Amino acid sequence: MKKSKFLIFIVVLAVIFLIGPFIIIIISSFNETSVMKFPPKGFSLQWYQKVFSVDMFRTTFLISLKVGALATLTALVIGIPVAYLNVRYNYKGKNVVELLFSSPAIIPGLVIGFALLRFFIYVAQVPITLGLYLGHTAILFPYTVRVVSASLRNFDLSVEEAAVSLGSSPLGAFFRVVFPNIQAGVVAAFILAFITSFNNVPISLFLTGPGVSTLPIQMLVYMEYYYDPTISALSSIIIVLTVIIIQTAEKMLGISKYM
Amino acid sequence: MNPLKSKKTLLLLAGPGFVFLLIFFFMPLLYVLKESFQGEQGQVTLIRYFDVLRNDQFQLVFLRTLKMALIVTPIAVVIGYPTAYFISKLPAKRKSILTTIIILPLMTSPVARTYAWIVILGKYGIVNVVLTALHIIPEPARLLYTEGAIIVGLLQLFMPILILTVSSSLENVSNEVEEAALSLGSNRIGVFFRVVIPLSFEGLIMGITLVFTGCFTAYVTPAILGGANVLTLSTLMREQALVLMNWEAATVIAVLMIITTLILYNGIRAFRPRNM
Repeated sequence: MKKSKFLIFIVVLAVIFLIGPFIIIIISSFNETSVMKFPPKGFSLQWYQKVFSVDMFRTTFLISLKVGALATLTALVIGIPVAYLNVRYNYKGKNVVELLFSSPAIIPGLVIGFALLRFFIYVAQVPITLGLYLGHTAILFPYTVRVVSASLRNFDLSVEEAAVSLGSSPLGAFFRVVFPNIQAGVVAAFILAFITSFNNVPISLFLTGPGVSTLPIQMLVYMEYYYDPTISALSSIIIVLTVIIIQTAEKMLGISKYM
Repeated sequence: MNPLKSKKTLLLLAGPGFVFLLIFFFMPLLYVLKESFQGEQGQVTLIRYFDVLRNDQFQLVFLRTLKMALIVTPIAVVIGYPTAYFISKLPAKRKSILTTIIILPLMTSPVARTYAWIVILGKYGIVNVVLTALHIIPEPARLLYTEGAIIVGLLQLFMPILILTVSSSLENVSNEVEEAALSLGSNRIGVFFRVVIPLSFEGLIMGITLVFTGCFTAYVTPAILGGANVLTLSTLMREQALVLMNWEAATVIAVLMIITTLILYNGIRAFRPRNM
């Protein structure tokens, strides 16, 4: 069907609205003065230098990396079997089990963070870093189940049955036949879940405190006290890194079909 | 798909995940739920709910949050649905490029994404500069820390979700169906409203559900663009919990947020066509 001009107008409008702000923030990060005026005056890299000189950004960045990697791995370890169960088998009460496992994605993150704070930090006196890791794992879990399930659905499970009938154990068949075929899906799940954890605010908001913070929370704290292009520079770095990761993942894994 | 033969397989596969969620997800939530019904002497009471529900500030904030969801959702549909339709008609390669552009706001740090609006809507931001240069407004207007700023931020966050949900449901609408309707004498607008929309209705409802409930629980956008001046349900809850240390009120708001989300989630999805 021929595309009408009106349709193209709306699409262009949507694209400008969705990614225009990213371009503007990158332009503003090279501003020479600390007052954020548009159009920016001059060209300077001082705000980028400042990002790397603020210790709290570096330490919280490392915490975000560690929490993200550990929580994603844990969520994958407990999520892959659940995905396998739901794609491979039919059983009584499957709807309930599926709903149960997707509930961390339905309950607002802010509420999950608050509940973990009340229960684990105040009542059970668990160290806050552990609470942060557990909270992130809980919200990433439905994510990994969904992405790995999507990838399992594209795999012909009769191949696995053939392996079992030829004498392989079910576990052996999974690791030697199924897993190699869903590897791309597992990597996609890792990337998507890691980004989700790295960006998370609602859970981390309640599970950070003096000495333990994540990068997004630290950025929010910084913004409360300073109004200069440092956050623009840091945001630009994050935006460019995200674009590179998504582009690469899309080219190699076709990540957008898992979203 | 095979029938599950042994209980052992079920336990082995779902067990670890179930135990994890039980301890680290359901138990904390149930604890908060229990707390919200507890009076000072430990008796079961609804007093905390009445206190919050009767509070003027809570009512104001609740209605404001509802209003913003009611504004954001239709705009997201009006711009997002045609965009999704356009994407679904593209050849594979261009579809992939446009989709990665669309998902950028979803995948980028919410703090970075929202901060961009601080730069755009600030006193000397691009919007104010253009409007004053064109003499539409005499001097820079206050655009930040308003409901409008939050609405714009929410739109950027949730339009991609609507586009993704709808475009995946539009994959099922083949060109042949549309051409058949056209050749039978329908015009293009008629085809769009009578063929395309009904065939992707389920995806549209799902998208609306996600956008509407998302507006109710979003945190970063109202926190940065509304500040302490324009509170929404989530920023109010955070303020009660972490600034005012009013745990009772925060607990009740948390439970009310869950209830509202579940009602909205199931309420909107009830409009799904049954037999498709």
